[in-house]
Amino acid sequence: MAHAAHASHDHADHLADENNKFYTFVNLALFMAVVTGLELVAVYLPFHLALIWTIIVFLSVIKFAGVCTWFMHLIYDKALLTVLFLSGIIIAIPTSIALLYLFENSDVDAKKIKHGVAAHAPAAETHQSHP
Amino acid sequence: MATATHADEIRAQIPHQKSLIGFYRPDNHKGLFDWLTTVDHKKIGVLYGAFALFFFVLGGIEALMIRTQLLFGNDPAAPDRWQFVTAQTYNQLFTMHGTTMIFLAVMPLSAAFFNFVMPLQIGARDVAFPRLNAFSLWTFVAGAFVLNVSWLFQFALYAGWMDPAVADGVDHLKRAMNDIAPGGSWVGYPPISSKEYSGIGTDFWIMGLQLLGVASIAASLNFIVTIINMRSPGMKMMRLPVFTWMTLVTSFLIVLSFPAITIALVELMFDRHFGTGFFRVELGGQPILWQHLFWIFGHPEVYILILPGLGLISEILPTFAKKPLFGYPIIVFSGAVIGFLGFAVWSHHMFTTDLGKIATAAFSLLTMAIAVPTGVKIFNWIGTLWHGRIRFTTAMIFACGFVWNFMCGGLSGIMHSAAPADHQQHESYFVIAHFHYVLIGGAVLALIAGIYYYFPKVFGKMLNEKLGRRVVAPLIIGGANLTFFPMHFLGLNGMLRRTHTYLKEYDIEKWNQICTVGAFLLAFGVLFFVLDMILSVVKKGWAETAPSDPWDARTIEWSTPTPIPVYNYATLPVVKGVDAFWISKYGRPDQKIEAAPEHGDHGIHMPSQSWWPLLCGFGFFLMGTCFALSSAKNFVMFGHNLNQFVLVGSAVGLGLAVLGIILWALEGPGGYHLHIHQTADHGKKSPKDSAATAAH
Amino acid sequence: MSAHADATSTDGLLPGSGADLKATTTGIENKKMLMWAFLASDCMFFGTLISTHLIYRKIYPGVGDTEIGRDPTKLFSLELTTFSTFVLLMSSFLMALGVSAMHKGDLKSFRRNVLGVIIFGLIFLGCQTFEFYEFFNIKGLSLQNNIFGSTFFVLTGTHGTHVAIGVFWLVCMWLYSFTGRFTQDHAMDVEVAGLYWHFVDIVWLVIFPAVYLVEFIGKLN
Repeated sequence: MAHAAHASHDHADHLADENNKFYTFVNLALFMAVVTGLELVAVYLPFHLALIWTIIVFLSVIKFAGVCTWFMHLIYDKALLTVLFLSGIIIAIPTSIALLYLFENSDVDAKKIKHGVAAHAPAAETHQSHP
Repeated sequence: MATATHADEIRAQIPHQKSLIGFYRPDNHKGLFDWLTTVDHKKIGVLYGAFALFFFVLGGIEALMIRTQLLFGNDPAAPDRWQFVTAQTYNQLFTMHGTTMIFLAVMPLSAAFFNFVMPLQIGARDVAFPRLNAFSLWTFVAGAFVLNVSWLFQFALYAGWMDPAVADGVDHLKRAMNDIAPGGSWVGYPPISSKEYSGIGTDFWIMGLQLLGVASIAASLNFIVTIINMRSPGMKMMRLPVFTWMTLVTSFLIVLSFPAITIALVELMFDRHFGTGFFRVELGGQPILWQHLFWIFGHPEVYILILPGLGLISEILPTFAKKPLFGYPIIVFSGAVIGFLGFAVWSHHMFTTDLGKIATAAFSLLTMAIAVPTGVKIFNWIGTLWHGRIRFTTAMIFACGFVWNFMCGGLSGIMHSAAPADHQQHESYFVIAHFHYVLIGGAVLALIAGIYYYFPKVFGKMLNEKLGRRVVAPLIIGGANLTFFPMHFLGLNGMLRRTHTYLKEYDIEKWNQICTVGAFLLAFGVLFFVLDMILSVVKKGWAETAPSDPWDARTIEWSTPTPIPVYNYATLPVVKGVDAFWISKYGRPDQKIEAAPEHGDHGIHMPSQSWWPLLCGFGFFLMGTCFALSSAKNFVMFGHNLNQFVLVGSAVGLGLAVLGIILWALEGPGGYHLHIHQTADHGKKSPKDSAATAAH
Repeated sequence: MSAHADATSTDGLLPGSGADLKATTTGIENKKMLMWAFLASDCMFFGTLISTHLIYRKIYPGVGDTEIGRDPTKLFSLELTTFSTFVLLMSSFLMALGVSAMHKGDLKSFRRNVLGVIIFGLIFLGCQTFEFYEFFNIKGLSLQNNIFGSTFFVLTGTHGTHVAIGVFWLVCMWLYSFTGRFTQDHAMDVEVAGLYWHFVDIVWLVIFPAVYLVEFIGKLN
């Protein structure tokens, strides 16, 4: 192969890099385990709801970012991949938030919702009332 | 394609190779087997185009049936009232017309250009993942056939071959329950698309759209990687031809918007098959959630339809004005902005659903904001034409027609963005007029312009310019305007869309008849156009042979010889600027396209062809069709109960598709090397000297 | 051109001459870029699903005429879910080690780590199956009887399907590693599978607070 010599030249560095990654990964895994535990604890804390919400969202974002950055190698790779992934996040998160805000509790009267497997009869009535 | 001699010569030299799973690779076939197993982006592009045109004609026939039905109004007192098709068939016609035109005509026709033109424009030899590209094609074909095979079953039902009790519906809705072809409109709003109100047509629609989504996403991922990663030396991002830029933006739109409808369709499918309550009011489901999810996909979708057209126009206008595109960076930027904003305006399709003041105002404002980048583009095109030496070829006529008609559609679009006005226009023919101006006047005119422009490169034949200028262009552009302009009035006067008739006393019959006449004129234009294309390809001597650069064009795809050899570029071109071919022809000596240096004498690596993408497509088709049929309460044909059969069939179909993917993974990429001995001139090869060797 | 380069699964034609199959314009491998673009797409996929669940949780805070419908905290087992989350995180850790091992060309270490990932993945699926079984058979939550059931089962089920596909993929890769055709040149294939696996993990990192923890906030004291 054309770049065989080139590859062997980098081999030692490459190996050292991978070995360094090992320690990073171990530390990160331990850290995440602790964060997961903290999330569980946070739910039980007698604080204001808003504070608990903030803590949970914050911890989750940290875990999310941790996996993306180190386990998924974004920090070792070119920035373009981060941009590519962020394009999905940047569209998805605001869309989800907007959707959540577009629905209101007051849109529905929960008490009127019937339960159980739907029969066809109510559907027919609805239809007839709107010819 | 008429690449016969050189291609055959190359094919004869390709070594017979076995794949890693022991089958011979189908590299040496000619004719049908070659086309079925091809991984060549050019052939895949041609196949996309052929299927798209077939469905374009089919969707057009559906449109003509709609217009024929609306030829006369309804006078309840008169016993012999006009009924060309029943109300139920009418529902199916407009549903399938919309679905077909959007997903099976305009999108794949754009995909045909993406496939054929984009790799040539970036100076690549193929897309990044050739077999994935073939997979996209065959999955698209599977989805298209799943959707349309429903017509055959509908016919079987009417012919009495199929048991009428296909679903258990409410009594007075029995007829709609016999919708074997989809009848819930292309937006498929529940509760109309729910199990209680529509037949298995909706299941065909769900399965078809799911497959088309898979195909589009796979193709788009491929294009994104290709454009970012496969550019030839010197082809920086800001030197990419605008069409390639628009391919990139469109691909991002597809990749990010289709998941929303995938989920919506999954939820609808669960509602229909497994009794979940996502959109079922009885269980507390919110049908409006479907509308949101659908339009989160649906609005980017309309940009998916139009952006490729904007790209094509940005190629055609500079060529025939003999001027560089005015404001290239700003055109690229506004294309990207249109794409991005496209995700933030979905609710303007739902102004009448009472979103609340703040939401309505926000979506209204964002919608108006989209007019800015679009307007920028229009002015840039006008700037391109300004002081140009314009040649009115057929492609140019269509391109200019595009600018004008698309602008008309854009202007009525801005009217919709004002929420109060939209309340009057919603669900009326005004909306029909608007989106046909942007889809026919926009996307279709641009695509036809693109076909006139690229046909000589694809097939080596010139389309008949005289016929194009004197017959096709006037009929299509004039017919479209005659059809859709009166609809503005009809709509504002209150004529509702998706209604199979109107009352005679409304006094709108005359306008409707004008629309129908216009539709038939448009159809004749398309007929001449399609016939000219078919004859040019099929019939020897019908069309003139095209030179390799008939339009004195600007971008590097025109630097290839016609017919384009299978490897595209014998040596990869080193690109020196925007409009690289133009500056190579007329610029300074140092702007000439150079051949990128080759490393060693390995020759050109070519990908091996494969059967497995086709197997996946076949599996998907079987799965989709059988799964849709299995949702019938009783699927009885010719007196045989086939319920078990179709259930097994859908499992087998899924199995075949998975098998195809596994075999594809196991067979290994393969490939072989072509050795071409260059003559001095760029891109020219002497076929006698070419040779091929196995990659292994 | 040695057979070596072609035996890599680089499915494609890359710019530059025929010699250097791995050369790309940006220097990023095609497969890796494709996977990242796909993951961006999958963000939208799960974003839509999670939104559906949260919207119905928002507008029906306590809908349902059964005990569990009124209060999902009676349904969920926080311990089990936390354990699942932990398992998935650790599988991600092992996956990262597996990818690293493959880049070093250490096939044995790769097999060990990936087998660990597969086992953890199966444990996660086991937990989910147990959870579904308990909800459906013992606590009476089904797809049909409650909007909460619909959204919960479809959301977590879709995620579970992703996990199952990931397990299937890794099992295939693990088995393939015994054929002798699997070399360091396949490191990119492993990395791509790894990216998918990590993504499935981070989706769970969102589902865990957004579906489970949220229900317990303010209800435990």
